[in-house]
Amino acid sequence: MSGESDILTGDGRADDSPTNGSRSGGSRTGDSWSGYVMIGALGVVLATLPFVFGASGYYSRLLDLFLLFALLAVALNIVFGHTDQLFLFVGGLAGAGAYTTALVAGALGVSAWVTLPVGILVCGTIGALVSWVSAKRKFTVILISILTLNLQLAFVEFFAGARSITGGSTGFPFDGLALADAAEAIGIARNYVLYYLLLAFLVGVLVGYRRLIDSRYGLAFDAIREDEVAAAAVGIDVVRYKTIAGFLSAAVIGATGVMLAGFEGYITPSLFTFLGVDVLVLIMLVLGGLRTTIGPVVGAALVIAIREVLQRTTEYQTAVFGALLIVLFLYFRSGVVPAVGALIGRYGGRSRGKEGGERADPDPDESS
Amino acid sequence: MVAVTTLIEVTVDGIAFGLFLTLLGVGITLVYGLGEVLNLAIGMFAIVAVLIASALTNGGVDLLVAALAGVGAVGVLSLVVDRSLFTLVYRSEGEQRILLGIFVTLGLTVFLEGVLFNVFPSRYSLPVDLGTVGVGPVSLASSSLAIIAVSAAVLALLFTFLERTFLGRATRTVFQDETGALLVGVDPRRIRTLVFVLSAVVAAVAGLVYASSATIEVASGFEFTVFALIVSIVGGVRSVTGAIGAGVLLGLVITYANFFIGSFIANMILFATAVVVLLVKPGAISL
Repeated sequence: MSGESDILTGDGRADDSPTNGSRSGGSRTGDSWSGYVMIGALGVVLATLPFVFGASGYYSRLLDLFLLFALLAVALNIVFGHTDQLFLFVGGLAGAGAYTTALVAGALGVSAWVTLPVGILVCGTIGALVSWVSAKRKFTVILISILTLNLQLAFVEFFAGARSITGGSTGFPFDGLALADAAEAIGIARNYVLYYLLLAFLVGVLVGYRRLIDSRYGLAFDAIREDEVAAAAVGIDVVRYKTIAGFLSAAVIGATGVMLAGFEGYITPSLFTFLGVDVLVLIMLVLGGLRTTIGPVVGAALVIAIREVLQRTTEYQTAVFGALLIVLFLYFRSGVVPAVGALIGRYGGRSRGKEGGERADPDPDESS
Repeated sequence: MVAVTTLIEVTVDGIAFGLFLTLLGVGITLVYGLGEVLNLAIGMFAIVAVLIASALTNGGVDLLVAALAGVGAVGVLSLVVDRSLFTLVYRSEGEQRILLGIFVTLGLTVFLEGVLFNVFPSRYSLPVDLGTVGVGPVSLASSSLAIIAVSAAVLALLFTFLERTFLGRATRTVFQDETGALLVGVDPRRIRTLVFVLSAVVAAVAGLVYASSATIEVASGFEFTVFALIVSIVGGVRSVTGAIGAGVLLGLVITYANFFIGSFIANMILFATAVVVLLVKPGAISL
């Protein structure tokens, strides 16, 4: 218990050692290489999934949903996992990205692809601003979480309430990404066009994530998480690094929000609620493993799979997720990927547990 | 132009709603001050009491008995939560515990919401019509007056408890200095249990009184929690008197804005207030 309890805030890195410890140790560059191999393997496996599941519209929907949430979880991992800033407005940020992109595109009469950078930039700026203010004013994690929870509720309230701009709670249709046209041109299902688009985006984000964590930014994040005062004392600009983390996470979340709207084909406030997005993303991230490269992706696959099974078998799926949230945080904060890695490290006779984590990844999808 | 009588009526309703929020906000404040657990399930406790009481009265049980059963059930529920979940949370320290507290109570809210929604899918209220009381030309909703009376009584009791009784003094000791409390023989864990159950029972009473004039649904639980959290923030999360002022102020703002400009603007004002307070004086909140 006491061993596990450090994981959340990272007071001590000793716990991570079977899986992550080597990453922060001397063999940083060697490890990062295996990190990229892992991402490549993950990409290849995920790329074959549409062939496994075939043309079924049902499964193609699930696969899209899986990647959308995986992206959100990876994004939250940067800001929450690595810099301890608990953003509880993932849904709101995704919504801000989607609404901004779609509304600006509509106003200018151009494709949403053109205005996508605007949406991303707006979200990134919001994230950076929140992080900057929080870091400047030395907010604790609880203050950031309350602040962002308030923003989350305010955003959704605004989406629903500012009817003249956002179309209110019924929203408006959105096909700005022209997925249907692309599907027709290429000759594969619309959901799979989006799937490969999302996969490319996810692999890109994961590679960016590895580069970030292996660079001096990763070192700075580690130092800040361990002891902010000490980090500042050795010359790390705490405010700057936290702000950058906030910007990057929020930007990825914003872009994913646009994709989510493209996936649904419409934009409504109900897509971006706290209970519908944030709670799930948090469960995914912690279940998969905070501060791991593929953990958030594994977590997303597991949670989407669990949700599907529950949806078919019980009306109590919300209750199960509530219980899951409690149990995960009380007993299993290390996450699946580190746990599997540690198991393989222990019984497989290999000191490097991380490859085990890699192997564990594709399996969860099959269960859906 | 709005008639003065209407203005008075709305003001009374606003104060009533504000005091309802205060009762929940004080619960958050006390539990946080004692054990650094931010109880994000407090709104759900209010809802549980109303749903149980409502179901019982529909089954032919006397209203008073049903209400007591609702409060009692919440008391038991909170005791179970404290002995099981919170025991695990209290094992952690510092920021760790704060985070765990957030997630566990959030999970509890989602869990209860998921369970309750299947049993209680629509909107509920208590079958009691208190009518209105005429004071000259002003006709005030009796339920609002009842909320004000009950809230004032509960808050008075709370102050008496904290100021006058041994347990209350012990509570304040733990509030100020946990080690010191231990040294003089006060068991902080027992005090936390006591105050948590007390806060849940107060929330249950508040919910019941609120439901005498308004309908609630399962989803209202989280909404109430958020409002209470804002009251707690604006009032200063460790200050009981601050929570009362903030509660009444916010209740008035919400009710006025609801009445005159609609709920959208009202809620935006509410969230904006909370964000501004957080940004301007985070030190006063001392979270």
